[in-house]
Amino acid sequence: MVTTERSRVLQKDLPHSLQDELAKVHIQPNKVWLCTDTDLNLSGNYEQVWLAVSDDALAVLAEPKQAGQPAVRHFISRDEIQEVRVRQGVGGGFLETIVDDIVVVVLAFSNVKADIFHKVAGKLEQWMHKQAIEVDASDDADPRHCPKCGLTLQFKGDVCRRCVNRGAVLLRVLKLMRPYADKAAIMMVLVLIGAGISLIPQQLVRLLINKVLAPEQASNPPLDLATAKHWLMGLVGALLLTHIIGSLNNLGVLRLNSYVGTQITYDMRKRVFDRLMQLSIDYFDRYNVGQLISRVQGDTEQMKGFVQQLTTGFFQQIIMVLAVGTILFIMSWQLALVTLLPAPLVVAGSIWFWKRVYPRYYKVWDSNSKLAGVLNTILSGMRVVKAFAQESREINRFDRSNSYVRNSFRTVEYTVAKFNPTIGFIFQLGGLLVWFIGGIWVLQGRQITAAGGKAPLNLGDLISFLGYLWMFYQPLTQLTQLTNWLTGFLTATHRTFEILDTPIQIAESDKPISVPDMKGHITFENVTFGYDRHQPILKNISFEIKPGERIGVVGKSGSGKTTIINLLSRFYDIDHGRIAIDGVDIREMSKTDLRGQIGVVLQEPFLFRGTIYDNLTYGLADTTPEDVIAATKAANAHDFIMRQPLGYDTYIGERGAGLSGGERQRISIARAILYNPKILILDEATSSVDTESEKLIQDALLRITKGRTTIAIAHRLSTLKNSDRIFVVNRGEIIESGTHDELMTLQGTYHKLVKIQTELSGNVDSLQANVK
Amino acid sequence: MTAKMNETHEDNGAPHLDPTTPRYLTPEIARIHLGSRNALHVTVLNDRIYGGVYAAYIFPVRQPRKFVSLRYKNAKGEEIEVGIIWNLEEWPQTDRALVEEALHRHYFVHTITHIHHIGWKYGFIAFDVQTDKGPAQFLMRWQHDRAHDYGRGGKVLLDVDENRYLIPDLGTLSDKEREEFLRYVYW
Repeated sequence: MVTTERSRVLQKDLPHSLQDELAKVHIQPNKVWLCTDTDLNLSGNYEQVWLAVSDDALAVLAEPKQAGQPAVRHFISRDEIQEVRVRQGVGGGFLETIVDDIVVVVLAFSNVKADIFHKVAGKLEQWMHKQAIEVDASDDADPRHCPKCGLTLQFKGDVCRRCVNRGAVLLRVLKLMRPYADKAAIMMVLVLIGAGISLIPQQLVRLLINKVLAPEQASNPPLDLATAKHWLMGLVGALLLTHIIGSLNNLGVLRLNSYVGTQITYDMRKRVFDRLMQLSIDYFDRYNVGQLISRVQGDTEQMKGFVQQLTTGFFQQIIMVLAVGTILFIMSWQLALVTLLPAPLVVAGSIWFWKRVYPRYYKVWDSNSKLAGVLNTILSGMRVVKAFAQESREINRFDRSNSYVRNSFRTVEYTVAKFNPTIGFIFQLGGLLVWFIGGIWVLQGRQITAAGGKAPLNLGDLISFLGYLWMFYQPLTQLTQLTNWLTGFLTATHRTFEILDTPIQIAESDKPISVPDMKGHITFENVTFGYDRHQPILKNISFEIKPGERIGVVGKSGSGKTTIINLLSRFYDIDHGRIAIDGVDIREMSKTDLRGQIGVVLQEPFLFRGTIYDNLTYGLADTTPEDVIAATKAANAHDFIMRQPLGYDTYIGERGAGLSGGERQRISIARAILYNPKILILDEATSSVDTESEKLIQDALLRITKGRTTIAIAHRLSTLKNSDRIFVVNRGEIIESGTHDELMTLQGTYHKLVKIQTELSGNVDSLQANVK
Repeated sequence: MTAKMNETHEDNGAPHLDPTTPRYLTPEIARIHLGSRNALHVTVLNDRIYGGVYAAYIFPVRQPRKFVSLRYKNAKGEEIEVGIIWNLEEWPQTDRALVEEALHRHYFVHTITHIHHIGWKYGFIAFDVQTDKGPAQFLMRWQHDRAHDYGRGGKVLLDVDENRYLIPDLGTLSDKEREEFLRYVYW
């Protein structure tokens, strides 16, 4: 046992009362090398239960709850244990041992403790086999929890939502605007000018009434008709000019707004997509495509909204409230105070309303994304729908989602429909109040205190005041939505930044080792890996493949065959151990060199929408037509391509629609030939094609595997007859390895599989004979 | 808790369990009892004694009192089904209690009885609830796959650690609790 710095998780201090109990079963507390606690007892209820392990035995203890109840619940000596394992329950799991062919459930744990007890099981497995075990602070490292706050992350390397700096989000958005700072500044100046211009008309109206239309009530001398007409023309002309300048200003604001808004959205979308291209396959396993599309398309669109808010939105409204409010107080502070009477009601009502309606907007957003998801699923699976004649069922399913969208929209819009007239009514009340009080003051000729000193309130002042009143209330209502809009904007932006902040798990090494001319010597050394939190798919496997060797891999579904090739291509990084090609750890190798020299032919080859030629030369810019023809000839693909109406320029649909499975596969093989990889991976390359196609593909594969290190996964064992060696994988371990003859002699799992397939094949033969 | 390991025919001469055919256990052909070291055992007539057995619902939501699978894990780590209890009510009280206890052990689920508060925290939905196991606070990701339907009116919530919280029927919550819950988990 080697121990350095203590582990906080696996080397806890056992309570003193239990230390005495431990000593009673002859485990000296100072000899305990592993001590940790679980949160459940074996009845499935919360209770702190301890596991203490010494060199010779393990014990499970808990504080007795009743008198006479033993503290030690299990005591098992190491020599008795045949196996240690974890069994997953629902919401938790169990640590089990097998002792003298007897299953002993040692303890139970909730999912909070699952990671710990999977680690404990691994340590106990080594302990049982009397191997050296290291327990130290490095065992506390847990990539699935935030190192800062301990919050469980969705996957290794995920961004901790608790620790992400929210305040910095706005700052980051503003930073994005930096390249357009000049245009943004011009925009803001134009907004200020626009606000100033919008204040002018009411002053002109005031002048029109007091000077031209009703000069007597303002104690102004009446004008003769000719002078009055000149004044009228002059004032209307000024109003026209104001409107023209206002419109031109507005045009400038909107154009700049659109330019900056769309450009920032473009930049953001580009950044997000670039990041997605860099993220590992693991990330795409965790998020569904619909969600990511929504982030790239919808959430980035929020950036445009932000720019709009800065100009025609909240920024403008704040300016308007301040400017109009100032004018109102300058005109008459008494009336301005009357104006403010309904304001608290409007603000309070708006806050209350938005608090209620805002979650419903989420529902609208959710219903839309759900509808898109349903549509995506139905349209993608149209063949299955038609094959099972389930059109009416799918119509109903779509209808349900469609209804959900309709209803969620209605809920929001009905609520808004209730709110807007109510707020409008309150405004009207405010207006009526000003009309009433102002009207009386006009009739009484009451002196009001304005900026120019005391003067009687006249009709022009009142009409102009009322005009400003609406300009004051409207932005005030919209400003009450600022918090809600900001929350929505920050949420969407946060989702976008989450992608940008997600660490690239399969990152290029700081000093990548270049291996431009790979030989194809592969070594797996004690490799352990699992896709999910608690389930290792590959368990400590080791093997070596020599350059040019052809390896067949067989095993049940889920045994870990495909995982081996996923790891070799470095789609995922291993949890423990080392994978090397030509002696270089693939984590240290340049990713371009690694993936550029590994060719993969999958069971379901993915072809893009485009011509056959484009698909064949995907990622191969320098390929010549001669190379392409040579490759398709070798892949037995040339002839069927030539039967297409436009030969190599035939346009094929999404996922290769229009071609048979065998034809798609042969294109995929031709692509692999063009790629000229040093290591070729064939993952069930012939399992989904008919016998005739299989023969053509097998012939093609035989040609291209010559001289290349080849790993072929196959269920049909006959396809592996040319392999130099065959690995039999079971439950994440290589249980048999050797040539076909060696494995047949071994009479193990491979022999059994061959026997089953031979019998099946015999049955088919006899069936065919009977049919004939 | 311990149990004698069960192996297939090749391992110990016991009759081979055909994995392709369901075997329904009834009180007439089987007994459920505790064996050595209080492990759950199942004795099947004309067959053998199975130990280290655990119980799992086949239809946990649709028919929790029916279709209970009794299973064990063999030395190879493979899960073997000893048989299916079609209707738990048909079994004697003692057998039934043992199966129920085994089910309780297998499913570590908190049943929510009251909701004190739901709010936003770090972009998660933060629940403060009362459960059958005591008061609990937990964080849930605001994603559809974190809250599943449970029967006609219930929901199962999965927190960030994948612990399960069950509301068997939203109708049993007060109007205020239900409204608060549906404001966040409306699907």
